[in-house]
Amino acid sequence: MSTKTPSEEDILRPINTLTKKYFILYGVAALGLVAFLVAWAYQLQQGLIVTGLGDWGSGGGSTWGLYIGAFIWWVGVAHGGIILSAAVRLLNMDRYMPVARLAEMTTIGGLSAAGFYILVHMGRPDRMVTSVIGHYHITVNNSPLVWDVTVITAYFVLSATYLGLTLRYDISRLRDDLPDMFEPVYKILTLGYTEAEDKVIDRMVWWLAAAVIIMAPLLLHGGVIPWLFALLPAMPGWTGAIQGPMFLSIALMSAISGIMIISYAFRRAYDWDHIITDDIFRGLLLWLGFFTLLFLWFQLQTIINGVFLGPTNKAVAIEAKIAHPIYQVAMTMIFGTLVYIFLQGIRPALFSKRRALIASVIVLTGTLTEKILFVVEGFLHPTFDIYANTPGTYFPSAIEWLSLVGTTGLVALLFLNLSKLVPVVELHAIEHLRGDHEHGEEATEPEVEA
Amino acid sequence: MSTDDESFHPLGEEWEDELETMLDDTEYDSDLGMEMAQDAMRVTKGELSEAEFHERYHEDVMEEFGEDERPTKEAYEAAQEEAKGTVSNMLNAFDGDDGETRRETMKKMGVGAAAVGVGAFGAASNGPEQSVTAAEEGHGPRQETTEESDTQWGMTIDLERCDGCLSCMTACSEENDLDQGVNWMYVMAWEDENHHGQEGSEYDVYTDFNMGSDFNMLVRPCQHCTDAPCEKVCPTTARHTRDKDGLVLTDYDVCIGCRYCQVACPYGVNYFQWDEPDVAYEDIDGLEDPDNPDQITHAEYEHGERWVDSRAPRGTMSKCTMCPSMQDGKQGEDKVGTSACESACPPGAIQFGNVKDERSDPSQHREHPVKSRAIVHLTNSTDSTKTAPSADQINSALSEGDDLQTAIDQIEGLTVDILAIMKSIEMVSEGTEPGDEENNSILSAEQDILSAVEAFQQYVDLETEEAYSELGLGDGSEQQAHFRLEQYTGDPSSFQLLEDVGTNPNVTYLGQEPGPEAQQVEGPTKYEDVGLLDERQEYLDEGTVGRIDGVSL
Repeated sequence: MSTKTPSEEDILRPINTLTKKYFILYGVAALGLVAFLVAWAYQLQQGLIVTGLGDWGSGGGSTWGLYIGAFIWWVGVAHGGIILSAAVRLLNMDRYMPVARLAEMTTIGGLSAAGFYILVHMGRPDRMVTSVIGHYHITVNNSPLVWDVTVITAYFVLSATYLGLTLRYDISRLRDDLPDMFEPVYKILTLGYTEAEDKVIDRMVWWLAAAVIIMAPLLLHGGVIPWLFALLPAMPGWTGAIQGPMFLSIALMSAISGIMIISYAFRRAYDWDHIITDDIFRGLLLWLGFFTLLFLWFQLQTIINGVFLGPTNKAVAIEAKIAHPIYQVAMTMIFGTLVYIFLQGIRPALFSKRRALIASVIVLTGTLTEKILFVVEGFLHPTFDIYANTPGTYFPSAIEWLSLVGTTGLVALLFLNLSKLVPVVELHAIEHLRGDHEHGEEATEPEVEA
Repeated sequence: MSTDDESFHPLGEEWEDELETMLDDTEYDSDLGMEMAQDAMRVTKGELSEAEFHERYHEDVMEEFGEDERPTKEAYEAAQEEAKGTVSNMLNAFDGDDGETRRETMKKMGVGAAAVGVGAFGAASNGPEQSVTAAEEGHGPRQETTEESDTQWGMTIDLERCDGCLSCMTACSEENDLDQGVNWMYVMAWEDENHHGQEGSEYDVYTDFNMGSDFNMLVRPCQHCTDAPCEKVCPTTARHTRDKDGLVLTDYDVCIGCRYCQVACPYGVNYFQWDEPDVAYEDIDGLEDPDNPDQITHAEYEHGERWVDSRAPRGTMSKCTMCPSMQDGKQGEDKVGTSACESACPPGAIQFGNVKDERSDPSQHREHPVKSRAIVHLTNSTDSTKTAPSADQINSALSEGDDLQTAIDQIEGLTVDILAIMKSIEMVSEGTEPGDEENNSILSAEQDILSAVEAFQQYVDLETEEAYSELGLGDGSEQQAHFRLEQYTGDPSSFQLLEDVGTNPNVTYLGQEPGPEAQQVEGPTKYEDVGLLDERQEYLDEGTVGRIDGVSL
């Protein structure tokens, strides 16, 4: 759409500029993170009583809440991000190459936030090493929470390797234009680089991408994370095979939305209209619509299975779920977004980047709400709901809300820091856009897909 | 096998020849082997005692093998007392005997190996036990590797006897120094469509036994499940089952406070320590003179001790422990096999003990609910208006020649009803005696009643038609006695909570099972009246930072 030609200079711009806006943004993000760190310190000092959580059962509370809801939401963003990036590589979706690295960085950021939540959520985080790793060989056979930590760690390694390998190509070529300040980092990143490795790296990255795509539904967000809940027989709000596909669809919705927001920010900040084009937003929006449709389909399956002659415990849980005003609001928001996406697909004039941004924010809010509600609802309507104090009450405390600010700040800081260190758009993408890429002939894929 | 077959082995001459050839192939003396085998067969037929067999061959065996692992005469005699019969039976008798490992037993039973056949002789260089082991395999009762403890603490709780006084809850709180709202033991009244509290109750009539209760009760300690979901999901092994007695406990030194156990438990028995506990560690008190709280809080394991008892420290999970410090004998031998809640229960509705031992209180209560209810009721002086007199009381009150009515009148508190129940207990009793390992209170009370009935019968014959009719025991058959007991106590059904979830709980209930739509209702005693907090969230909310009143997801 733009007449400008993408250049190396474009993708180096974030590294070689330093604006007032950047400092303000950095300050705000850091403030958010620090504010939560202070709150967390207070929580460590006082105990988890500072949260709104409590004991389900006779106690009339909710055992898990926003911390776990936000944890699975961040994991979802992370997993969706790497799936997206892997799909771009594996299926030659070259159109999305400019946002592939942003997706990978989103994965690193999301996993960091999720990992942080694990610590924040625990009563004795100081024992993480001795208690969890010390008994790993026993617990890995039973505990879904240990499977979870295992797979998240595996994915962190996988994603970091993926990102690290693809960075070598760029850094070695752009080295002269990168700041000397970070010389040691670049040296480590490009250790032993020769041009001969490009082809090998390409193949390695392809295999990593294949592993990501295969493992995602089977193990990761379609497996281990939902199993944390779906395998527990006495919580009808959670139990069931639908949770695998459900979680995966939410992960992809959240990740696409997240990447759209981040892409929007970078495009705006660095005049990347000709790199992260409108076409990319249109495409991402269609994919978002597709996964939103899947998500709503799974929700419908869950509801019909519960309310139409469902067993007592399931029926109670599902009826309570659909009667919950927050659930209704979240679903309406998501359904409304789906309607918009379809309409702008039929009538392209309805598209605008700003609307795509709003759609993304709505979907992210909707999925986060759904996640937190999902976690809490398990405790509100257990099979053994004889207790007068069940369903209990729960509303996140100020510290819990602040954790969302803190982790968002953490992820923002990660992007702000990384964007000063390495190019957030691949050199390959620029070469491809200019048509001088070696795989240039493959760029003939249909313009509109999904 | 033909009649003129002169072989000693039941399988005949051909078999013997084959075995002899096998013996020839070994480096050992074939003749000695055959001779021993022949005599071994005589041992099995009882023509020769094993001691004689041993003596006859001891020198030869020493000469040939340089060792004789067969039992000495004393060991043999000890074994003989344990079990009479075939080798297999003798080995079975030893199996599971804690004092001796199976291997040791095998060694001692080397003589049996000879009796099995000469095959054992050929393998003598490996010690005779090998072939016996082989012979045992497949039909042995249990493999050595599947060592299972024969203790499993658990409870049988009689919900129809529970009057909702909440004594067990307060006793538990005091014993374990629990915070407000941490109700490890939780007692609730409930109603559902089929079981209303007030009208339509099973008991329209007040009886001394049902105490006229209008409430359906549920008593909910931790179920100490054999297949505990909380243990399965624990990412640290902090939540574990103690091997020696099946208690499901939390190691407060290992727990990371992720609360997944609380999430996975279908019963909702876990309570997290959200803040600093009210009672400081130094002030934990359970013994008369606890100079060291470790005594109460640390339970014994095969290898050392672990901090699993009493209230949890901040940031870890807690739940009913079934009082391991009592089970370990740290609070005195008389508390082994009891729990704080059991001891505190006025009507004896909670029966704690080893559910794997048929003589234990929970087993007796579960397997013979009618009789056990009557026994508990007649011997539980704290909460019963009816008490069975002791044999001593009877002996001092009665004299020869009293008739039934006079005899009853002469003993204070005795009524025809009580005597009828005592006699019925005697009639249905199998006479099982209490074990000495733990507190078998039901069986010892049963013994007391049996001796009281016996004492009574020294003065008045209760087994006449006249006596039977006066006691309402019909024709005096066991069935009639059972019927009489049922009239008195009711015949409760038993159940376990959420059996279909597959947790295999070790708490069994007698009485009405709450249906899936059962809801807790206000019980006969209010929690706050006995100093307990029901809804812990009320307390926890006070600590919530930035709480908005009345807002909830």
